[in-house]
Amino acid sequence: MVSDEHGFFIDPQRCIGCRACVGACAECGTHKGRPMIHLDDMDRMDSPQTVPTVCMHCEDPICAQVCPADAIKRTDDGVVHSSQKPRCIGCENCELACPFGVPIVFSGMEQMLKCDLCYDRTSEGLKPMCATVCPSQALLYVPKHQVLGMRRSKPVREFLVGALKVKTRTAVMVPDPDIPLHLDAASLIEGGF
Amino acid sequence: MSFFSSLDLEPRPLLRAALTTALLCGAIALGSRAGRWLDPALLGYLLASVFACFGVAYRYWTWVERPATWMYFRDLLKRLASPRVIILLPKMGLLALDQIFLQRFIGRRSIKRWGAHALIAWGCLLGFSVTFPLVFGWIRFASDGLNQDRYQAWLFGFGTGSFPVHSFAGFLAFHVLDLAALMVITGCVLAFIRRGQDEGDMATQRFDLDILPLLVLLAVSITGILLTVSEKALQGRNFGTLAYLHELTVILMLLSLPFGKLFHIAQRPAQLGVTFYKAAGEAEGRLACKACGSLFIRANQRRDLEALFLKLGLETARHSESVHHLDLCPKCKRRLLAKAQGSRLGGAFDPFSGIPVPVDPITDPQTFRSQP
Repeated sequence: MVSDEHGFFIDPQRCIGCRACVGACAECGTHKGRPMIHLDDMDRMDSPQTVPTVCMHCEDPICAQVCPADAIKRTDDGVVHSSQKPRCIGCENCELACPFGVPIVFSGMEQMLKCDLCYDRTSEGLKPMCATVCPSQALLYVPKHQVLGMRRSKPVREFLVGALKVKTRTAVMVPDPDIPLHLDAASLIEGGF
Repeated sequence: MSFFSSLDLEPRPLLRAALTTALLCGAIALGSRAGRWLDPALLGYLLASVFACFGVAYRYWTWVERPATWMYFRDLLKRLASPRVIILLPKMGLLALDQIFLQRFIGRRSIKRWGAHALIAWGCLLGFSVTFPLVFGWIRFASDGLNQDRYQAWLFGFGTGSFPVHSFAGFLAFHVLDLAALMVITGCVLAFIRRGQDEGDMATQRFDLDILPLLVLLAVSITGILLTVSEKALQGRNFGTLAYLHELTVILMLLSLPFGKLFHIAQRPAQLGVTFYKAAGEAEGRLACKACGSLFIRANQRRDLEALFLKLGLETARHSESVHHLDLCPKCKRRLLAKAQGSRLGGAFDPFSGIPVPVDPITDPQTFRSQP
């Protein structure tokens, strides 16, 4: 079980694109050699900004709801795991339906893998690999009360995907945490990144 | 409160499971010539098999009724009902050989996992292919008339060829289950070794889901092998007790089929349907992400997922009349989260917004001017 006392906090604006998280993630025992963290450019033409994405561990995961094989499970500690190997049939529903674009389906081996909060480490009281090596603390895994004193921003765990409210275990740091973070694709498409 | 709700059973899957079990019972009655070829010594196995059939069928139909599963199941039914099924079936056979029998996709996950799984799977397939027909009275071995040195196989009550007891064919017929048991035992031991070394599995495995099924399979195989050991090496000592013990472990295994990890045997063929669904989607074409324009989602899957979202009550995951969240590729969804944070921070992600970007390419690296 992963301790409920600790939380994962993402602060994309602090990311410096060093890719240490990507290298470290590949060392995790649950997905051996395959990094499950995503590190994307916001827009290479206009900005050097990079964006790290780990699983948000939704309270009612959409990936699990759309899984035809009933292969994606959320444990009592709130961690949404990679698909169960005996069940996953590699249909890609989870990859396409995830509101945050996290799961990766490996079609050759017919399996979805994703960030599982480095369960082999966090269930033993250690930090996830990415948060251990992140030099700018864009990825932070600390006791929940501790983060409040560390930043001016506060964690938000509610997101509006269009008009759909999604609650998560992982938090994003924002100045005004009482308002859900609105993922507004319409503005994205009109204006570009 | 209805009868079904008090039992917490769903009526439609219950009915379908009853029908499936009735079909099996009909096949048993037909194949055993109205029960005449049933072996009374195997009655316990027979009852457990029928119960397992009902349990597996009930869970299977409950599973199929889930909206996400039904999306693919319906597609497969349509394909099987179309005239193109003639082309589809041979392809499906080849695919089944690769995915169900050879299980090459497991090898791509991990070669150690494949080795252990293949031995267990092939051992179980071999064992099931012999024991179920024996239990159902479809196959039976008996002395060839009054000749004790020859055995005859009876298939659905019809006599087929006979073979000498002391021959290779005889040896195979009497020891095929020993071979299956040895394969399963080796596979289980390899699986335990791998599970003891794999940090990821050690963190995520559960006793009831991952360890117990291996222990049950080991128990079945070891007690089965002990029957041969008793007969060959111990002059049949304790054979009766071992036979009861083996029957007990097999019945436990059959009864656990619908509830545990072994249910994936019934689920795995769904992978074949998904492969055909994907192929049909590729033929129809992929749709572009409405943010970045990259082709990413198959047209049929986009359509079906929107319908699925509606069934699951997720229809509000829509940004405008024309833009559903499914219209964004995974990468754009990830960037969207960061953009949302950036907009809360007052445009933190656009540090160069105030710097004019030259329209023409920079041609002079010394002056950084567009035109020297």
